[in-house]
Amino acid sequence: MVATLDLDDMQGLITRGYSTLRWASFLMLSITDPAGARAALGQLTPRVTSGRAEPSDTAVNLAFTADGMRLLGLETPGPEGFPEEFVSGMTDPDRSRFLGDTGENAPRYWRWGGPATPPVHAVALLYARDEPGLGRLEAEVRQVALATGSLAEVVRLGTAELTEREPFGFRDGISQPLIEGLPKATAAGAGSAAGGEVVKAGEFVLGYPNEYGLLTDRPLLPPPHDTAGLLPRVPGGTGADLGHNGSYLVFRQLRQDVEAFWGYLDEATRRPDGSGDPDARDALAARMVGRWPGGAPLVHAPLRDDPALATDNDFGYFATDRDGLRCPLGAHVRRANPRDSLDPRPGSAESVAIGRRHRLLRRGRAYADGGPGGGTERGLHFLCLNANISRQFEFIQHTWLNNPNFNGLYDSPDPLVAPRRNHRSTFTEQAEPLRTRRLDLPQFVSVRGGAYFFLPGLRALRFLCTATGEGGQR
Amino acid sequence: MPHQSAVTVLATVPPDRVDDVREVLNEANRQGAGEVFRFAEVAGVHFARLVLVPQGPDSTGTLLPPSVVYMSEVDVPPSVHLADLVRRAGDELDKVFAYCDGYPAGGASEGERVAWLRSHRVPCAAFYVNTVGRGRQQMLNEARLREAIEDFLDRHRAELSASSPTRIRAAVQEYVTGREDLAWARSRPASPALRWRIRQAAHLLGVPLGGLVLLPFLVIGLPVWAVLLRWRERRDVPSRERPDRDHVRELASYEDFAAQNPFTAVGAVKPGRFRRGTLTAILFVVDYGVRHFFKRGNLAGVKTIHFARWLFIDGKRRVIFASNYDGSLESYMDDFIDKVAWGLNAVFSNGLGYPRTRWLVLDGAKDELAFKHYLRSHQLPTQVWYSAYDTLTTHNLRTNARVRAGLFGTLSPAETEAWLALL
Ligand code: HEM
Repeated sequence: MVATLDLDDMQGLITRGYSTLRWASFLMLSITDPAGARAALGQLTPRVTSGRAEPSDTAVNLAFTADGMRLLGLETPGPEGFPEEFVSGMTDPDRSRFLGDTGENAPRYWRWGGPATPPVHAVALLYARDEPGLGRLEAEVRQVALATGSLAEVVRLGTAELTEREPFGFRDGISQPLIEGLPKATAAGAGSAAGGEVVKAGEFVLGYPNEYGLLTDRPLLPPPHDTAGLLPRVPGGTGADLGHNGSYLVFRQLRQDVEAFWGYLDEATRRPDGSGDPDARDALAARMVGRWPGGAPLVHAPLRDDPALATDNDFGYFATDRDGLRCPLGAHVRRANPRDSLDPRPGSAESVAIGRRHRLLRRGRAYADGGPGGGTERGLHFLCLNANISRQFEFIQHTWLNNPNFNGLYDSPDPLVAPRRNHRSTFTEQAEPLRTRRLDLPQFVSVRGGAYFFLPGLRALRFLCTATGEGGQR
Repeated sequence: MPHQSAVTVLATVPPDRVDDVREVLNEANRQGAGEVFRFAEVAGVHFARLVLVPQGPDSTGTLLPPSVVYMSEVDVPPSVHLADLVRRAGDELDKVFAYCDGYPAGGASEGERVAWLRSHRVPCAAFYVNTVGRGRQQMLNEARLREAIEDFLDRHRAELSASSPTRIRAAVQEYVTGREDLAWARSRPASPALRWRIRQAAHLLGVPLGGLVLLPFLVIGLPVWAVLLRWRERRDVPSRERPDRDHVRELASYEDFAAQNPFTAVGAVKPGRFRRGTLTAILFVVDYGVRHFFKRGNLAGVKTIHFARWLFIDGKRRVIFASNYDGSLESYMDDFIDKVAWGLNAVFSNGLGYPRTRWLVLDGAKDELAFKHYLRSHQLPTQVWYSAYDTLTTHNLRTNARVRAGLFGTLSPAETEAWLALL
């Protein structure tokens, strides 16, 4: 049975990436005075965009870190609370090791979100149709949120105008799971090839059945907490459901060293006489990604880019390319979503079903900032939504992207995005009769900031900000 | 050529000495398990660990004593292993077991210590080996062989990539033949000793024969058992416990340093002879299955486990499950749920607090988060852990073995291509 989604109660970022709102900025906020912050956020709440209608000019979404929730008076003690990874946060030392945030990626070097910078408690995600519009929106939001001084701006993260390409030059945002119950998913139909892309709403939104047919753990409050009755009640229980229609937002600022990336590719593909070979260079880049710069997947376009296949997403790996001869076994997209190549029965519907438990709704935006030395830092504000951070984001980051042994490989973390740490990093292009190994791959992407946020439903947001705001304890 | 065995030594610790033992283990962890116990020099050690099993209630609330447990997977007979270990790391073992009843204190001979350790061995109820007969030395050799071949191919790629697969393989053969240190690669790995193979064959046949004798009883007994089981399954109360935060943090602090992780868990068996009997029988079947059928890299769909063992302790009132697996705990638990939920249910549903099952094998682990909370709650920090090949997954080890197996000897053109694709 398909669950009916309460789009009016969801924040809009769940249902859409706001692709018509091409300008965005993210304000990282710190709570200095909880009561005042609640009031300020309460004033902002009516501006928050829901998942119902496509916004025409601007959109605002709000999310909170675990510390932020705590400061707003939301301790959810005991078994009904938030999951451990959210509570201890992205910068917990063991989690840093797990995510590969060590060495130069370590939180202590981060621009924001780490131990060396002011704490982040909330983020305001702002989107507008054009640059002046974004300026006005920012001014308005700052006016409401910062005026009383109970919230402080830790950092403003700007973005570049939304284009189809990420900073390395590849088309991005092609493959995205379809949330069951949304019109797009219904149109795709369960029987069609794209049916594999339709994923249960509960994988991204709390309060709906997930791919196991179960409800993911979510924060529930015992009855005395919500006397005003703002929150939905747990079916068959007395608790108030703070998680309903909410989601977890993973936010990572990933710096992309564009010069190093293309410089490496240039060097690696020079002809014996020392001259550059642009075709070979682009082909190697494409093999690292698994798609051509224009977007065509290597599984269908192994030899050259094909504009006709720019958004092609209708493919698997097992039947067409089990040995990685077209799309290397270690390519970024082949790791990030192995599609039908998962054990125990690659090529089967069961394999695809197992993969559906590890999907992400990506909502990232590219950025280009003036760096300290006058140079421009470019990268991706990687944002994604999921209902279970351990099983989805962290699993993909650790077990698929960073894993040097992924797909039976050796010393081979993700060639594009993984940290190298002090391990050997190899990228292998499978070929007949003989593979090519690229040894000692440099690191192209590094982490500059990050946090886990809870993106509450709108009722929960109103509850957080306005309900008996004076009392502190509710 | 060896067959791998599981060694377990368990000794109770006086409750007021648990913290001292924990400190010894922590210190060993800080210095590195491999350095302290010199496991690399002890013959044929694949993995080894030391854990503290805390004092805990059985299903009736009676407190069971804390104990310290040594476990290893080795290529030699357990008594040989223990003697070797005492020889290399006797002083360190002294610190670990110093507070245990009767441990031969300083001044005692090696022989006395070995005898004490042997007398504290606990047998496995079941022991899974990813690939029976593939010894540590073989694995390390094969890893070296593969690397040598890869380097050779890298150095000669330009000339070789224009050749035919058969030519390339011939070039590799020639290269390996020229390397004294890889001379062993020209022969096949030896198979386990004949005596052991005969014993295995006898077991393979003997168990079903025994089953035949018991068949009449089973036919009568099974329906009764099934009714009793269902009745109990409805009454048993699944735990709604979420793992304690500090506990989870402690566990996490020992995990995800290598390609593999250790998993150690302890749980109380549900009360009554019915559950104890059921679990004994199930583990007997598991043991039979892993000994004879799941011994080629695949435990009913899960391929990432190097070794796993189940053992009863405290007079069958508690059970230990210990394994070495590739990847993270999250991926391990997901594998359990997605691939062998039925198998886990059959065993663990006899444990107190396990998510509700139906007919022994249904539901249970399929309750994803309840199952994950259950495992995390029962997991023990593996303070001291050693892996002899901590960058190699089971997949890698299998590939390495195939590279060696296909290097010499005759292959068809298609087989030659498939062999080259391994590299
Ligand atoms: C700066 C870093 C990154 C860059 C430049 C990058 C680039 C790309 C590109 C070009 C694609 C192909 C376009 C598409 O299928 O939509 C892609 C796909 C994808 N990426 Fe990334 N990515 C980055 C980081 C990450 C991270 C950190 C994750 C997850 C933890 C991730 C997960 C994915 C997923 C799930 C897909 C879709 C794969 C599919 O469904 O076929 N990416 N990425």
